[in-house]
Amino acid sequence: MIGNLHARLARISLEFGLSVAVAVAALAIGFIFIAASGASFGEAAEAFVEGGFGTRRNFAGTLSKMVPLVLVALGWIVVFRASRFHVGFQGQILIGGLLVAIVALEVSLPTVVHLPLAILAGVVGGVLWAGIVAWLWAARGVNEILSTLLLNLVAIQVISWVVRGPLQQPETPLPQTSPLQESSRWPDLLVDTSLKLDLLLIPFVVIAIGLLLARTVFGFRVRLVGDNSNAARFAGVSPERTGVYAILLSGALAGLAGSSLLLAGDTPGMTDGFDGGYGFQGIAVALLARNSPWGVIPAALLFATLRQAGGVMEATVGVSSAVVDVTQGIVIVLVLAATSILYFRARATEAPRAPIGRTEQAEAT
Amino acid sequence: MDNPDLTTGAVRDAISEPAGPGQLALRVVGITKSFPGVLANDRVSLDIRQGEIHGLLGENGAGKTTLMNIVYGLYQPDGGRIEIKGQQTSIRSPQHAVELGIGMAHQHFMLVPDMTVAENVALAPSELPGLSNLPKVGRRLGELSRQFGLGVEPNKVIDDLTLGARQRVEILKMLYRGAELLILDEPTAALTPAEWEELSAFLRSLAAQGKAVIFITHKLDELFGVADRCTVLRDGAVVGTVSVAETDKPTLARMMVGRDVTLRVERPRLEPGSPVLEVSELTVIEDGRRVLDEISFTLREREVLGVAGVGGNGQNELVETLIGLRTATSGEIKIDGEHVGRLNPQTFTERGGAVIPEDRHRQSLALDLSLLDNLMMKEFGAPSFSRRGVIDFSKARQHCERLVSQFEIRAPGVDLRMGQLSGGNQQKAVLARELSRKPRLVIAAQPTRGLDVGAMEFVYQQLNEAKEAGDAILLISIELDEILSLSDHIAVIVDGRFPRILAAEDADSETIGLLMAGEEA
Repeated sequence: MIGNLHARLARISLEFGLSVAVAVAALAIGFIFIAASGASFGEAAEAFVEGGFGTRRNFAGTLSKMVPLVLVALGWIVVFRASRFHVGFQGQILIGGLLVAIVALEVSLPTVVHLPLAILAGVVGGVLWAGIVAWLWAARGVNEILSTLLLNLVAIQVISWVVRGPLQQPETPLPQTSPLQESSRWPDLLVDTSLKLDLLLIPFVVIAIGLLLARTVFGFRVRLVGDNSNAARFAGVSPERTGVYAILLSGALAGLAGSSLLLAGDTPGMTDGFDGGYGFQGIAVALLARNSPWGVIPAALLFATLRQAGGVMEATVGVSSAVVDVTQGIVIVLVLAATSILYFRARATEAPRAPIGRTEQAEAT
Repeated sequence: MDNPDLTTGAVRDAISEPAGPGQLALRVVGITKSFPGVLANDRVSLDIRQGEIHGLLGENGAGKTTLMNIVYGLYQPDGGRIEIKGQQTSIRSPQHAVELGIGMAHQHFMLVPDMTVAENVALAPSELPGLSNLPKVGRRLGELSRQFGLGVEPNKVIDDLTLGARQRVEILKMLYRGAELLILDEPTAALTPAEWEELSAFLRSLAAQGKAVIFITHKLDELFGVADRCTVLRDGAVVGTVSVAETDKPTLARMMVGRDVTLRVERPRLEPGSPVLEVSELTVIEDGRRVLDEISFTLREREVLGVAGVGGNGQNELVETLIGLRTATSGEIKIDGEHVGRLNPQTFTERGGAVIPEDRHRQSLALDLSLLDNLMMKEFGAPSFSRRGVIDFSKARQHCERLVSQFEIRAPGVDLRMGQLSGGNQQKAVLARELSRKPRLVIAAQPTRGLDVGAMEFVYQQLNEAKEAGDAILLISIELDEILSLSDHIAVIVDGRFPRILAAEDADSETIGLLMAGEEA
């Protein structure tokens, strides 16, 4: 037992160390790009720290950007465990957001009811959009990566039409809705900043998803189906049913992210492309967190800082925010490289499995 | 104890004397290799002569594959030395091993299925880049094929080849790269007896031309068909090297396991009780093919019905239909006298059914999950282990630790990843999961597949104990010995049908063999 615990600790610290190393290396490479683009290295670094954490307002901006990142990353982790690698978070955020906007614009209620109702609408929208994916996969065998990529495009077009058509703010040419009603918005956490109370979703949802996956029968089924769906079937666990629930849950989390983007967002109304790329960046966060629900928080902090500080750097030092995109890309590449290093390391140090006959027969034929 | 093997006849006589016994192809002295928590090889020494077929025998996890991976340069030993043809060498990598004339065929085929034989051979690192001289490769292969009697056409696509032919392509690859010492890791796992006959004849012709062959196996019968000498490993150390002509199976089995092994088990003869499983005219039609064709039988308490037959005659479909993974086209299944409507694996389990599927890796286990998860796979949802969907892990842990000791699963802890257990221990975990639930009905398909003699003995004991405890057991196996020694009644499955069900007293291997071949006996 002791040796086992020791091995686990060693493994966890190795994984954590690798993730930190990846983050540091990516930042270092990002600053090389900054230097190459001609800006003063010192000024850029200062602007970066200033932009991420320097002022109350900037720090609040960083924290508020963590919320959608964490939620999407958790959604990815749920489907990843079930081996259903969908990438439909963008579409689910958008459609969830659409329902949020409808509730926030068209209904008048006191905040205690209006806000929860608007959030619920977001969750429902995410679940509905994910439901199409789940149904296509379970009933028709359509690959979930393909269907989500295409449904993302559909969702983008739907929002694009809505903000230029039925929900467009009257008497403006801009592709945006009227301001959402104040009663539907998250209250401030820190006055005069963009930080709203939705920050509290982070600990709550991280703990809920972490416990769900590790401690419940459903979480076990997800892991079982993800590892060997055939054995799951023999054990009486339906891979289809479990996979569908996992996809719907991830859709709910994406829809929740969509609700936060609108109800705690900077813009008064819903705009074209309000998803802001969080749907894909959340996956990168999960990758950096090595698909651990607990690791999502530090990983999201890094990406949120890049987002927040990148904007500030561009404004103050004139460094293109493309450098931030490059840095994010490097994080993803390095994470994947680190993953394979871990994999090969584990294979090399693990005692070899004793041979088992005949399994190749099924594979070979 | 007679040789119960039915397929290999007089092949022993055909072994030729090793050519040029003088020089050693390989000498391994005092090799030691440890992995975290495991001493895989403990001062192993071994001589391989040129022109000999040398068996490397041992239970799963005895260190055979580790030793050969060291010789092939995949692992570096912690201590000891290796001599190739009298030259001390340290083998840095598989590429280096190939340069030294060592070839290894792994248990799993390393072939690209939709490329031709010649293309697969041309994938050697020395040939890349540039597949432009494929015709040359093809010609050279043709020559090799003639020289050693391989019978493989260079232009055939791998997918179109039988498993036996694929095995020969693996060997051809080694020969093409100039191997003088060929290591075959359990080459027969996927072969039919006839394919094995061809392969062994071919191996002898290789040896006759001076090649040295190391043949890893845990099946005694195969060794007697082909090897000249044999080295037995146990717990990572050499137990001894013997000449195959001067030994016998019980001796080797004892060397492998370290104690006397009853290769043939006795079945307890018990008075059967009331019917547990009644199947009448069960038919499954898929794509217009009758995969199961009017199968009827009754299985009682304290009774074992053996189903013999060549693999692929409907065994898998029968198991899947009985546990509810497939829907019967027509026919009836009764469990404990009650009609079961639409079964599914969960209701099957709830009715007291246990199943040991034939393919451990694909059907029974989740190898990346823990031993605990695998033992609890069917139990987590039960009220004793979870409340409102939340698992009580401390209870589960206690339960699993009990199972580990009761079923003698050798594992350092229940959190171990399932894939790290040896095949025998994996199967013990499956037995523990299925039999500990006190089932009424046990469906065991190929329960000893890929297991060594020690683990096999354990499986037989467990099945007999379940029978004594009152279970009805359906034993489906392609191993005729297993069927004959455990079953009270024996059915033969041919093309999805049971042509006859015999009482054990009326069944002998000849009658069953005829039925298996599709002839009415």
